[in-house]
Amino acid sequence: MTGERIAIVGVGQTVHKSKRTDVNTAELCAEAVEAALADAQLTMKDIDCVILGSFEPADGYSGPDKWIVPEIGAVGKAGFEMQNVGTTGGVVCATGFNMAASGLFENVLCVAWQKMDEAAGAFGRGGGGANEYWTGQFPMSPITNFARRTYDYMTRSGCTEEHLAMVRVKQDQCAQRNKYAQLKLGLTVEKVMNDFLLAWPIRRLHMCPTTAGSAAIIVCPEQRAKKVSKKPVWVEDWFTCHQGGALTMAEDPQASTLGYACKKIYKRCGIINPKKEIQAWEVYEPASTAELRWMEEVGICEDYTAWKLFEQGRVGTDKEIPFNPSGGVTATNPIGCTPVVRVVEAALQVRGDAEEHQVPGTINRALATAYGGQGENVVFLLKKTL
Amino acid sequence: MTPQIKKSVADIPEEPIVVEVQAHSNFLVTVGNTGNKFLTEIRDNKTIMGIKCPQCKKVYVPPRTHCPTCFTRMSEWVKLSGKGTLETYTVVRYQEPYMPKEPPYAYGVIKLDGADTGIVHLIGGVDLSKIKVGMKIEPVFKEQREGSILDIDYFKPIG
Amino acid sequence: MLKKEEPQDPAVAFRYPRVITYKHSLGYQSKFAHALKMGRIIATKCPVDGRCTIPPRIVCPMHHVRQTEWVDQGQRGKLLSAFKINFPMFDSRTGDLKSWETPIVSIELEGGARMDGWCAEKDTEKLKSGMILEAVWRPPEERKGRVDDILYWKPV
Repeated sequence: MTGERIAIVGVGQTVHKSKRTDVNTAELCAEAVEAALADAQLTMKDIDCVILGSFEPADGYSGPDKWIVPEIGAVGKAGFEMQNVGTTGGVVCATGFNMAASGLFENVLCVAWQKMDEAAGAFGRGGGGANEYWTGQFPMSPITNFARRTYDYMTRSGCTEEHLAMVRVKQDQCAQRNKYAQLKLGLTVEKVMNDFLLAWPIRRLHMCPTTAGSAAIIVCPEQRAKKVSKKPVWVEDWFTCHQGGALTMAEDPQASTLGYACKKIYKRCGIINPKKEIQAWEVYEPASTAELRWMEEVGICEDYTAWKLFEQGRVGTDKEIPFNPSGGVTATNPIGCTPVVRVVEAALQVRGDAEEHQVPGTINRALATAYGGQGENVVFLLKKTL
Repeated sequence: MTPQIKKSVADIPEEPIVVEVQAHSNFLVTVGNTGNKFLTEIRDNKTIMGIKCPQCKKVYVPPRTHCPTCFTRMSEWVKLSGKGTLETYTVVRYQEPYMPKEPPYAYGVIKLDGADTGIVHLIGGVDLSKIKVGMKIEPVFKEQREGSILDIDYFKPIG
Repeated sequence: MLKKEEPQDPAVAFRYPRVITYKHSLGYQSKFAHALKMGRIIATKCPVDGRCTIPPRIVCPMHHVRQTEWVDQGQRGKLLSAFKINFPMFDSRTGDLKSWETPIVSIELEGGARMDGWCAEKDTEKLKSGMILEAVWRPPEERKGRVDDILYWKPV
């Protein structure tokens, strides 16, 4: 990495709910900004750069930054808005990191939000160029994309529907311990296996909810970070890459850039055994069944064997593999904001501040990812010491 | 490699095609508690309210939760007379979907007495050619109000 | 499921319905649309690795070279995966909630390119990976140069 070394000095998120009729979109965003500023013990006066974003079609506003910027007291500060479907929060954070690493800014605020109780059929129009032409006749959405991916995974790995249910139960158990998570349902394998079938093998419980929520982080270059925070969370590296989205999925049901991005990051940071060298994982899984494949892509186990780890009960906040101790995206998904929630949760784990859902032991490194469209990824590596 | 199909593609035309599509959206916009108080005061009491920042002492209309200048939470409501001055305006003469009225109509920025910000609204009850910047104006409320900014039908000159 | 909630009080929440008309140019892909009207499926071929892709692209996304060769993909394909949607979902073309009765299939065509389509066989239990399916077209006068000119794929 070149440029200044940088650290996250403050994090904040709202308590995520399916509906927030008491605030409008800008006010929701302001709540997370207040929380992050309070955590860092800074004020808006200290902030000199603001990067913001949300998945605009799911909120129904074009260019919402014009409305949000005054409502978060950011008028006159450097910065801009980003948008990239599910990876929005990821590119917001990555850009914020770049701004801090450039040495041009001292206190960079990155904030993303999503108020999905306002959207109607947001996924009716997916991305991909002349989409109406190619996929407009099909109901394209995460549900159908993950139905396809999971069916393919089951064919190749030999896992059963029961294993898919085990993954969902583990996520629910993690979410129950996270005061910010939305869905806390008290699930059992039986409940999941008998739930309403959306598109085989995806059941309603396998899918992420629609959420109204917001999250923010504050990033500083090295000298400033050491002054502002007693427990700065150092950003070791980040990487983003794209592939063809829905149109590529027809070519390869497992098309994903996560494995590719992780290999690049591990090589750059000298990580040889990710399972040992990374102690907490916050990986963006839009459907609970995606965790199986993602665990393999980030290097925890061999391809098409992750389902065995769940069968053996080795995955959980207090277990051998602490994968998504916050409950993950299946419990909370304010789409554009979700990657920022992943970074916030990973940072809390590194600091030891995750309260009831803290992974035990010293967390030297945590991995956070953003996933969007049908296969784009932004991957972040956070660490405790320089 | 997969086997190649040998049929020629030379007879297939290449003229560019343009596809027309219609995107439908039907979003549900939440007003929030602060906006809700503003609109219900207009609907139930024909009163326009502003909100005051404890730090800057500025009064904002329409109201919002945080001060844009210093990001302090605001909670002090101020009742305004509704009268104000026209800061600037324009007359819309062209047609476009989703307009509040049939053109030609005038709308402008109004600085309400007691407020530090301007609000945008329609100007009516006056000949379009007689509208002047600096005019003193007051709101005309609709008989049937439902809780929207258009419960104020328009602002008209006083007197 | 995906219910539309009707707002009761506009001072709390209100709807604002909008319809926007777009005019998308197909550009290089226009040839594909013309081929569909003629009852044929064609794809661009990468000069580096010979892979054919649908949608056809002017540049290969992996090798970053221009793809000028078009190859006919035949009328049959091998089934890769299938799924059926069990709940009403929004039709992006109209904005309405509707039920989707037919399964969607992913196929690998004779020419090597892959695409999606509707399937004639409604029972997903009968659809097995590797089955051969054949395209059933709309009558020529009804074709619009859209991917759904292929009415559905039928097991052979």
